[in-house]
Amino acid sequence: MISSAVLTILAAASLTNVFPQVAPKDRFSFGGSNMLAAQIQQAAPADVFASANTKLPEQLYEQGLVEKPVVFTRNELILIVPKKNPADIHSVYDLRKPGVKLVVGAVGVPVGDYTRVVLHNLGLDDVLNSVVSQETDVREVLAKVALGEADAGFVYTTDARTVRGKVATIGIRWSAQPIVEYAVAVVKSSHHLAASRAFVKSLLGRTAQAKLRAAGFLPVR
Amino acid sequence: MIRRAAVWAAALVALAFLALPIVAIFARLSLTRLSTSVVSDALVVSLKTTFAAQALVLAFGTPAAYVLATHRFRGRSLVVTLVELPIVLPPAVAGIGLLAAFGRVGLLHTRLPFTQAAVIVAVAFVSGPLYARQAIAAFEGVDETMVAASRTLGASRAKTFFRVVLPLAGGGLGAGEALAFARGMGEFGATIMFAGSLQGVTQTLPLAVYQEFDVDFHTALALGALLVGVSAGLLITVKWLASSSTSALRFAASSSV
Repeated sequence: MISSAVLTILAAASLTNVFPQVAPKDRFSFGGSNMLAAQIQQAAPADVFASANTKLPEQLYEQGLVEKPVVFTRNELILIVPKKNPADIHSVYDLRKPGVKLVVGAVGVPVGDYTRVVLHNLGLDDVLNSVVSQETDVREVLAKVALGEADAGFVYTTDARTVRGKVATIGIRWSAQPIVEYAVAVVKSSHHLAASRAFVKSLLGRTAQAKLRAAGFLPVR
Repeated sequence: MIRRAAVWAAALVALAFLALPIVAIFARLSLTRLSTSVVSDALVVSLKTTFAAQALVLAFGTPAAYVLATHRFRGRSLVVTLVELPIVLPPAVAGIGLLAAFGRVGLLHTRLPFTQAAVIVAVAFVSGPLYARQAIAAFEGVDETMVAASRTLGASRAKTFFRVVLPLAGGGLGAGEALAFARGMGEFGATIMFAGSLQGVTQTLPLAVYQEFDVDFHTALALGALLVGVSAGLLITVKWLASSSTSALRFAASSSV
């Protein structure tokens, strides 16, 4: 019974490539975690919510909409530029060059919030003046840089790996990295509570963790 | 009797279905959200880009429609189909197409993406064909004997166009422009792909609704109400202008020929 249930999993856009490998038979809706959280608040039919932060699932938990969230993986931020690097950016400090077209996630979108933390930690708050577009999820940032329309963008290291050959990456020093923890929670209105709990548990298991690590995600501390 | 009741019931269901989402937006509206900068910035961007786009649509679409309506040449139906094609294109396809054509790495290598001009281009691309199609039909409907009479009586081509053809086609042109205007105000997909979304620059009302849905549902509702109000107001204005100017111009046309 339990194993035959096909779960509807709302998952952060950065999990687009890896989640179908972890749970090949389930259905996914990928997007900005904050959009997915808003959908759950509007009673979207869903079984599991996997967010690119802990804040959103905790909020839903406090509102009584999901069960207790569990951190299941981590990530880091990275700066990407198109392979041709039109703005000649080789370090995060080059973002200060005039006319750089920087694309970031919007405020409230996890990657957007993390990006602002990174820039603040690097003393680069003023770089936000170079932002030409605020995107609703990390994959939109990735697409606009990989396409060559934007000069640079902040994404997760795992996203950059999915477009190798189209972008070059510039690392961000460890001390400036925000804490990027992904939390997953069972949606209380789910009709497949047992199967959903089993999925959450399996995410912490060896098989799923190995697949996450192969995609570049970091183990939970 | 029963059949009549069924017709009325079906009509009521249709009306209620169309009206309910609009009513719901206003029922849950909190007016204080209208005063946030996201809302006012989006309103300004939307009005600026819509008016600029419609000016372009009228300036280029009217001559194009006139030429297509008055000339018969090989491949004409193909050209007309091409003009109409963006109407049936999904907006996302329009966005991809605009990027492929006008993107920095597109065919023409322009610097348009992420600028307000890019929003204008996107709006003109998706809304222009609605006007053009209607305008072609309007020009085709102009009685040729009227045009011939005007020319015989010594009016120049230009005078004939402005004093005879334009007034006679005015109603159709106005209706087409009303449709284009409404479609332009609501443009979303092509804009977010081609122009991006940045408050005060490229974030139009529909883009702000999409962003605020994730952030604050009540601001999204306020934006939605504003969009309903502005669109309805513009639609009514344009329709009223079209109908009143048509009758006035008709009178002028008949008296001057």
